[in-house]
Amino acid sequence: MGCCYSLFCKDENSSQSGEPNERTHLLVDPVSNNTNIQRVNSEDILSRNLNNLPKKTDEQSALNRILQETATNVIDVAALDSHNLQQHEYVERMKMYNTKVQQVFATNKNKISKKLNSCILQDIPVPDKILSTEPISSDDINLITSSVAAAASAIQDIKVDHKEDLVVPFGLNC
Amino acid sequence: MVEEVRKCLQDLLMKVNGLYCILITDRDGVPLLKVGSEKAPEHAMRPNFISTFGLAIDQGSKLGLGKTSTLICSYSQFQVIQMNKLPLIVTFITSDSCNTGHVLALEKQLNPIISELTLAVAEL
Repeated sequence: MGCCYSLFCKDENSSQSGEPNERTHLLVDPVSNNTNIQRVNSEDILSRNLNNLPKKTDEQSALNRILQETATNVIDVAALDSHNLQQHEYVERMKMYNTKVQQVFATNKNKISKKLNSCILQDIPVPDKILSTEPISSDDINLITSSVAAAASAIQDIKVDHKEDLVVPFGLNC
Repeated sequence: MVEEVRKCLQDLLMKVNGLYCILITDRDGVPLLKVGSEKAPEHAMRPNFISTFGLAIDQGSKLGLGKTSTLICSYSQFQVIQMNKLPLIVTFITSDSCNTGHVLALEKQLNPIISELTLAVAEL
């Protein structure tokens, strides 16, 4: 098995520069990769901070920043402690919302009532106007009736053409 | 006008079989609008229960699956469906056998109301 593998590797060597051998990791090591990246980052930060004299505080702040970033990315179920609203705070806020909501709805009355009435049938404020508009022309009516009549006769002409049996026996030599 | 909106929500409540309560609250669970029948459980309408949704979706957003839009909790007697309309949270409390899809479809009808209510919270 080992022999086969080495032979195989020789072939690979010729084609690939990143040659796999018995010492290469089969899995890409995610942990070491990550630490490498992090190391580079922190070195960057440190080298940047070299110019500034109060080095220690900068280092501290950089570390703090890393800590904070990590904390925001961690899913911490234990920290799901909500701050509970005090009863008076709750009542106060509810009152405030009440007045606010009334204000908002009062100012946007028309807009909202239009959106709420999504019904097809709607009240028409001045019906005389719509009722007194000109009726559609007789040509249009003729066109509509003739095309509907043609469509109706076409539908009536649809026939089923019987060609072969609906029930077919499978594999039975009758 | 508030009464009209409330009536509209009440109509929605009647249309969906098994829907007990519609609550529109801020992120701390303080209600802006609330309609419900007497079947709605009091415990599920408390602010400290509703506000956990905000915390849960904050944590959930770190999973890398995008923003949480809806959370459906199915209990043996009730369903609690919460929608992320931050700064508002919309909570529906229904019976266990209620058609969840039907409730989710209400979102479209509630959107105009919610967008107006968002103004009320944003102005504070």
